[in-house]
Amino acid sequence: MDAAIRYSPWKARFNRVRTWLSKPQNTILLILGIILTLTTILPMVTIVKDTVTVHPGTKDARNIEDGQTLTTFNWTDMFAPKTSTAKKLADKNLWTPLLNSVLLSVFACIGAIFYGGIFAYLVTRTNLKLKKYLSAVFIFPYIMPQWTLAVIWKNLFDSNAVTGGADGLLASVFGIRMPLWWCTGLFPCAVVLAMHYASFAYILIGGIFRNMDANLEEAATILNTPRWKTFLRVTMPLVKPAILSTILLVFSSAMGSYPIPHYLKLSTLSTKYIELKVDRAGQASILAVIMMLFGFLILIINQKTTSGRKNFTTVTGKSGQSSVVDLRAGKHILAVLFAITTAFTGILPIILFAVETFLPNPGDYSFITGGISGNMTAKWWVTSENITENGMYGQKGMLYNETIWRAFGNMLLVALLCALCAGIIGTLVGYCVSKNRRSKFASYVNNMAFLPYLMPSLAVGVAFFIFGSRLGIYNTVLLLVLTGTIKYIPFASRSALNSMMQLSGEIEEAAIIQDIPWWKRMTRIIIPIQKSSIISGFLLPFMTALRELTLFMLLCSQTKIITTLLDYFDEMGLYAFSSGINLMLIIVILVLNALVNKLTGASIDSGIGGE
Amino acid sequence: MARIELTHVTKRWGGFYAVDDLNLVIEDNAFVTLLGPSGCGKTTTLRMIAGLETPTTGRITIDGVTVFDSDAGINVPANKRRVGFLFQNYALWPNMTVYQNIAFGLGNIKEAGISVSEDGEIIRNEKSTEAPRKLTKAEIGRIVERVSKIVKIQPFMDRYPSELSGGQQQRVAIARTLAPGPRVLFMDEPLSNLDAKLRLEMRSELQRLHLSTGSTFVYVTHDQMEAMTLATRICLIANGVLQQYDEPLTVYDRPNNTFVADFVGNPAVNFIEARETAQDGSVTLTMLEGQKFRFTPNEPLNTAAWFDEADREINEFASKQRPVPKANEDKPFNYQIARVNDVSGETAEPGREDWVIGIRPEFVMITPEGSVEGEIFSAMPTGMETTVRIRVGNLLLTSVMFGGVTYPIGQKIRLNFTGNNVMLFSRQNGRLAARGTLEKL
Repeated sequence: MDAAIRYSPWKARFNRVRTWLSKPQNTILLILGIILTLTTILPMVTIVKDTVTVHPGTKDARNIEDGQTLTTFNWTDMFAPKTSTAKKLADKNLWTPLLNSVLLSVFACIGAIFYGGIFAYLVTRTNLKLKKYLSAVFIFPYIMPQWTLAVIWKNLFDSNAVTGGADGLLASVFGIRMPLWWCTGLFPCAVVLAMHYASFAYILIGGIFRNMDANLEEAATILNTPRWKTFLRVTMPLVKPAILSTILLVFSSAMGSYPIPHYLKLSTLSTKYIELKVDRAGQASILAVIMMLFGFLILIINQKTTSGRKNFTTVTGKSGQSSVVDLRAGKHILAVLFAITTAFTGILPIILFAVETFLPNPGDYSFITGGISGNMTAKWWVTSENITENGMYGQKGMLYNETIWRAFGNMLLVALLCALCAGIIGTLVGYCVSKNRRSKFASYVNNMAFLPYLMPSLAVGVAFFIFGSRLGIYNTVLLLVLTGTIKYIPFASRSALNSMMQLSGEIEEAAIIQDIPWWKRMTRIIIPIQKSSIISGFLLPFMTALRELTLFMLLCSQTKIITTLLDYFDEMGLYAFSSGINLMLIIVILVLNALVNKLTGASIDSGIGGE
Repeated sequence: MARIELTHVTKRWGGFYAVDDLNLVIEDNAFVTLLGPSGCGKTTTLRMIAGLETPTTGRITIDGVTVFDSDAGINVPANKRRVGFLFQNYALWPNMTVYQNIAFGLGNIKEAGISVSEDGEIIRNEKSTEAPRKLTKAEIGRIVERVSKIVKIQPFMDRYPSELSGGQQQRVAIARTLAPGPRVLFMDEPLSNLDAKLRLEMRSELQRLHLSTGSTFVYVTHDQMEAMTLATRICLIANGVLQQYDEPLTVYDRPNNTFVADFVGNPAVNFIEARETAQDGSVTLTMLEGQKFRFTPNEPLNTAAWFDEADREINEFASKQRPVPKANEDKPFNYQIARVNDVSGETAEPGREDWVIGIRPEFVMITPEGSVEGEIFSAMPTGMETTVRIRVGNLLLTSVMFGGVTYPIGQKIRLNFTGNNVMLFSRQNGRLAARGTLEKL
């Protein structure tokens, strides 16, 4: 008792560090912090550096003195053009795409929130008919490749007279020709993106509606508040956080989306990047930097709003049955209405893609008017030799085409590895951060893991394209997996963090006390308990990677993986092939989703956005 | 099995001292309860001894082995301290059956000279030179059987925790904690999630368990009744500072200060503010709205010397060197005086002549010969005993008597303060100055 305990600040600090490191979650956190900082920050630094680097054989190399390796030409040429032609070019290459990107993102947000939000409200809070079916079909567009709806749009509305090329379904069968603004540009892009992300809005907002304490609304009803007032003053503020996070995610995803503006011919930052990449590589990188800045902006806004979001988490209580609004006749009318629209977004694509692969020529819907047998063909599937006539461009039919199957195999491999890496790292991030709730470093690591999610896909792709080229791993599975892993960690870390937060620390302490090693605690206690959310942490990256184009298209040759190959066939005009690949992807993803859902109970709707 | 010693243990987060310079010796085979209001630092203390929390400074030894020493840089992790911990929410692993829950930790033991007797007792031979080995399946089975017999859960071995009632889950948690044969058993409010009847039952089982295992038990609770009935010694903590460490009845009869007096005992002690008017071996007091009383201490009391000594101790504690100023300052306990109508204002700084009399309800006796006049304010008979609140002027006194007695509310009665266990506390520092008798002049 008498031995005095002296307080030495250095010793205390040393002891603290040692104790901190003796816990596995802290050591892992430190390692993850370093790795994630490197893999997230380094590629970004590389892009910024690329904007001032001279690229031999491109525009900037022609505008410098000999021997110069760094130049500000790219920046000045874009932001402070000296000649009027340069000014026009800057408008065309920078300001118009920027404006279009922002407009597209804003309209996509508004559309997605309204369409998805209203649907979420109807499904969770009213007595709408056909809820189960509608709810399942509504998320199809999110599961399908992003460009699906864009392609469908083209297939429906294009006409030779207005857009050139082959006639779409409406033009060829009914002779209806839609005006140009309807077929290409901002309007169809915004509609298609809104449809795609409406499923996302539905999942996020619906999650809140579903968990919302009905007592809160009932309390307002008891006080004789009119229904509309209850909705505006009680319900809306409660779902505001979900709406906000939907806006942020949709905004950043829309900004970085390449395929939709590419198919529907809108000049955005992402399509412009691809255009400029060859002759004006430095200026293209500036576009990527601008997209990245939007990503940072969104991260900051997200950070600001999440502190407010926590105030609402108490809302998700254990209230019983939520009150259901009676729509009266509306329950049938609205159900039919949504059944029709979801048929267009969820069912029609599958049918159209399937039909497309049996048409003798792209857009040749003559079988509808001229009888099935004569005007359909299976040649796109079963041709087993190289023939140049028949419009096959020397390709074998899809069933015999090694390129397709190799690309498909590569895609599966990439998606599988991405899912494994992202799932493991994300789960570890979730675990470590939940164990260090008050630590600043933990929230830094969490942000680092989350940042790529908010970064437009194309910007991440560009960053890894430049980074990977420097390392000499361009066109390798390694680069694809690395990029995919970094981009998809947030899927896993969000769902792991949310579920780990709900796991009482005592569960693990009870095992620590009994001298059970960390490895065994994870595999025997924590992972089994959190099984379903961890599986969705693996599942989401897998399914997203499987249909990813924007992120990967810069990182490999076009025949490497199935999505870039699809793009390649599409450019060649082999629409039957691209439709066939689309069909295969959609079916694989839907079957996998259903299978995992049956086997484990985990599903895509429970994991997205981590709610 | 194990003696635990805490020396100058401090835990702080920034300027908040959760535990402030705690010195405590828990004797081998003791059943010690850490008692205090929520947020006082008792759970932190327990977790520090178990190794789940790291103290800022200080030293902790278990069984003569130093497990933590901030000076020497020793910090034995929780898993190497060979202790058992019973959590408030049981923390049963929901993915394992009852059997697996109990056996899981056992499958992990790897020690030299370990053996298991026929009836499932773990025998440890510390001096053995054999190579460390793991327990066999049969040995684990015997241990699980023994501990499950102790807490009577054999019928549920194949069930999952979610299929058990709260009380059964608690028993499984106890069995799991007992299985590896811990030297010390730490319990963090283990009964607070049970209903009143079950809690009473489990309380007596814990007492039996303490006897049969012979382990040292350290038990955290905010329920003074639990502490009184279970413990061999109670350690009362407030604001991270040790208030009293004594046997339960000592804590009840001789509380160190007004905080302890107030916290222990149900119904709570009566506090009556009094002012000293004269002193001649006994103290003459004005209290109960102007009535005069004489307090005769059991032992001679020199108030001047007593104050000097108390001030010296308080200053010593306050002037102790701290790396960071204490944000949660230590203030004398703010006791509540029961009044019919609350009075506001008038809080003059108390001086040395200001006292507080503490009288346990059982020493406030209603009798026709009583010297103090009062009026029944409320009467609450439970059958076995009756709690009566008596109004004296604007003040309220609580009295407890054996048996069921009914009084009409408003009835005039007379009362006496009996016994030689009336407590005299200083209002200035809240400390107990003396115990003695109180009579009306």
